[in-house]
Amino acid sequence: MARQEALHPGHPIDISPALPAAAAASRPRPVAAERWLIWLFLLPTVLFLVLLLWLPFLQGVWMSFHKWPFIGEPEWIGLQNYRDLFGAAYFWTTIRVTLLYSLSTALQLALALAAALALNQSFIPLKSVWRGVMLMPYAMPPVVVGAIWMYLLDPDLGMVTHYLLSWGIISKPIYWFSDPLWAKWIIMLVASWTFWPFMFIILLAALQAIPESYYELAEVYGANLWRRFRVVTLPHIRGAMLAAVIIRIAWNLAKIEQPFQLTGGGPGYETSVLSILTYRFAYLSGDFGMAFTVGLLLILVTFVLIAPFLHGFQKQIKQARRR
Amino acid sequence: MAENIGIRVHNLRKTFQRGRVQACRNVNLQLAEGALMVLLGPSGCGKTTTLRCIAGLEQPDNDDAIWVKGRNITRLQPKDRNLAFVFQDTALFPHLSIRRNISFGLDMHKTYGRSERRRRVNEVAELLHVEDLLERKPHEVSGGQAQRVALGRAIVMEPDAFLLDEPLANLDAALRVEMRTEIKRIQKHLGITTIFVTHDQEEALSLGDVIAVMRDGEVQQVGTSHEIYHYPVNFFVATFIGSPPLNCLPCHVQTDNGALNLASQAFRLPLEAAGGTASLRDHGEIMLGIRPESIAIAPERPDTVAARVSLIEPLGSRTIVILEAEGVELRALVQGETSVREGEAVHLRLDLGRAFFFDNAGNRL
Amino acid sequence: MAMHTRRATLTPKVLSYSGLAVVLLIVLIPYGYIALTAFKPAEEIFDVRWLPRVWSLDAWRYAIEFEQFHVYIYNSMIAGLGAAVLALCVAVPGAYVFGRKQFRGKDVMFYIIVMALLFPFVLLVVPFTILWVKIGLYDTMPGLWLAYQVFIIPFAIWILRAYFAELPRFLEECAMVYGCTAFKAFWRVMLPLAKPIITSLMFLAFLVGWNDFLFSNMLTTGQGPRTASVIIYVSAVGGERVEWDVLMVMTLMAGIPPVLLYILAQGQFLKTFAVRSY
Repeated sequence: MARQEALHPGHPIDISPALPAAAAASRPRPVAAERWLIWLFLLPTVLFLVLLLWLPFLQGVWMSFHKWPFIGEPEWIGLQNYRDLFGAAYFWTTIRVTLLYSLSTALQLALALAAALALNQSFIPLKSVWRGVMLMPYAMPPVVVGAIWMYLLDPDLGMVTHYLLSWGIISKPIYWFSDPLWAKWIIMLVASWTFWPFMFIILLAALQAIPESYYELAEVYGANLWRRFRVVTLPHIRGAMLAAVIIRIAWNLAKIEQPFQLTGGGPGYETSVLSILTYRFAYLSGDFGMAFTVGLLLILVTFVLIAPFLHGFQKQIKQARRR
Repeated sequence: MAENIGIRVHNLRKTFQRGRVQACRNVNLQLAEGALMVLLGPSGCGKTTTLRCIAGLEQPDNDDAIWVKGRNITRLQPKDRNLAFVFQDTALFPHLSIRRNISFGLDMHKTYGRSERRRRVNEVAELLHVEDLLERKPHEVSGGQAQRVALGRAIVMEPDAFLLDEPLANLDAALRVEMRTEIKRIQKHLGITTIFVTHDQEEALSLGDVIAVMRDGEVQQVGTSHEIYHYPVNFFVATFIGSPPLNCLPCHVQTDNGALNLASQAFRLPLEAAGGTASLRDHGEIMLGIRPESIAIAPERPDTVAARVSLIEPLGSRTIVILEAEGVELRALVQGETSVREGEAVHLRLDLGRAFFFDNAGNRL
Repeated sequence: MAMHTRRATLTPKVLSYSGLAVVLLIVLIPYGYIALTAFKPAEEIFDVRWLPRVWSLDAWRYAIEFEQFHVYIYNSMIAGLGAAVLALCVAVPGAYVFGRKQFRGKDVMFYIIVMALLFPFVLLVVPFTILWVKIGLYDTMPGLWLAYQVFIIPFAIWILRAYFAELPRFLEECAMVYGCTAFKAFWRVMLPLAKPIITSLMFLAFLVGWNDFLFSNMLTTGQGPRTASVIIYVSAVGGERVEWDVLMVMTLMAGIPPVLLYILAQGQFLKTFAVRSY
């Protein structure tokens, strides 16, 4: 390169020989300034989640190895809580009803998909009105929705019982919330009715993001309605669907207000999903160690249930990144 | 000369991921005040990183890398450097009107009063022919207009230098040509030191007072368009510049009765025509590089090469003839149209006096 | 399956309208019935019929004058507002950094935060109660605001990060070249650009506070800042006999404001969720 310079001197540039190293300017480095900003901005979030979430959680794990009464000294008992729990008959009732309760997610998905597909058609008038109506159950406090269904399902003066009786479908009033057969189904159905709009709004957003040209292309190739759904719609909303399913499974299992309000976990343990069982141990028996043992199992069950969807979701992301 | 150096990049080293990726190995550049330099190179060659280091958007590894007007600004914050940067995708602020976008820098520094800032914005808008767009939002103007606004935002600052990072890459071809003329005109008019990064050789050759060709984090050659094109220092520069590209043929040098011959798969030519060929004697295997315009279709002579025309690409004012000689593909550039036909057997005259020879390491001989 | 009206054949029309009708009936029948119930006089509760024989505001009067329900509605509002403001201050800077800056351990940290979305919050009730009593937050409004954040922050960071990440590249760098510090670039450029998503986040955070029952119930007492949700729970489950007409008035009073908010902001929400849901 030096040769180049020698060959053609006089242009305004040269490859300069090394200068004596100059002292660094005294100003703070922008990178340092930016790093400062990064940590400052992260601090509140991290502080909140560590102090409010992960520390109490770890404390809870610790508690699960103790006999930990509300008042009095905790006592280390190792795995005794776990042994007691697995040995108890009510625990398996709880697991059964938890699985049934999580089926609510499937029902929510079905409703949400039907509504989103229907509402995404261009010929439907008054879209925003219908959308607003559909969001109502989710927008209201779950306790409000619970109260509404307590009224509608009331065995004496509820509308549902009334119509079922007068149409001859049932012969005598059913005590939906205390009937061992019905109670678990009812809390599942009410949860579905309450929470499906969450999935609906996510699916609708995903549907609206699909470019029209894909449908036109599919039509040019002669795809019928079902094929168009399979080939165009489904692949485009799969990611959103998986994300919604994952969140809903987790939240359905974590939210306690409705079963708590409708049945209180009874009759017996028939509707005591794991989260209710945690609550019963903590506040009714004052056995915090056991409460957390159940809670940890709840986390475990949640993860087992969402694992296949999480796997699918991650595959979906990888594909999306590759595209 | 030291007092009129606009920008000096000195032994710039920049590594990413704690030294695992070397973006700039040892970059040295020096640019006179008021000059326009183009940094040219393939993507990933470190040209943008170099520019970002100058702007302060990246931190060089060494403390004395960036000098502007004789001042070491290596560790200054970007906002304190008084350099204007124009980004590839304009980076106009979507929530601000065009007027507020142009005056953004002035508003931040508050050196001038409100009416003075307004006056300056109007002046720059007029210069760039965007005065009618001032009250619009960025999404309401076209791509070319947006890039003008981005330029205006830089110009109004009266910076010590403009740093332009592929500012035309997102525009369509016609607009790109128009804008590059415009940029050159404005730069000459304002006389502000400018560094222009691009990977488009045509843009580089047409724009730059000087061009710095970069590769793998190192400057390969600095020179005028003429120098870069006609006197490339190495194989990389020679092949990177030029369209249609340089013809490259592996050859070896033979000595017959004291005469030098250049032999390849396709031909065997006497070398006396090429100047300074004596040095080639010591090399066996060499690489011959010859520009398409140095190959001509000619009547048969002892020093011509037999070839067959495989394709013709007429470009209007010029024609590219793609030829095949003993399995070697060659491109010739002919002025105007050509009378040869595809499939025709022809003879080529190679102007070895204007050809380049490279050794195995790619250095020009 | 958006398609042009002219090409819409009979099948999709029939399918869509019937699907829409079924879903709408499933939602509207219960709401229609309870809305009408709220205007029945107490004695009409015992027979099932849609329209009240006599239209009456007794239940409303009772809910407000006797139950003082408007006070709890007010509490819910304060709970929601505080939750929204606090969420804003905490989550927006965090999400901005996750969306646009590079630093070590970013991915791991982000995963830990988003994993919190899947956390069963009922587990936190016990430790919170103990802690809140200890530090004097038990039975106070700020205590509620703080507790809600465990729901809000992971979700907010998840949604906001994607939004920040998809804003045009180079904006802050450009601002920094033209005279901003890193903070000023965030404040003057990024924050105004994120206004729509921040608004919709504040709606969502408000609704968390308004709708919550778990923490509102466990972390307050009858003397403290009880929210409407808790009162509805108590009225529905606690007493000997349920005053259904009054309870339905309460459900309307507590249920309609969030619905209005949703309707008001639904376009915004749709955009929020359309940010790729991962």
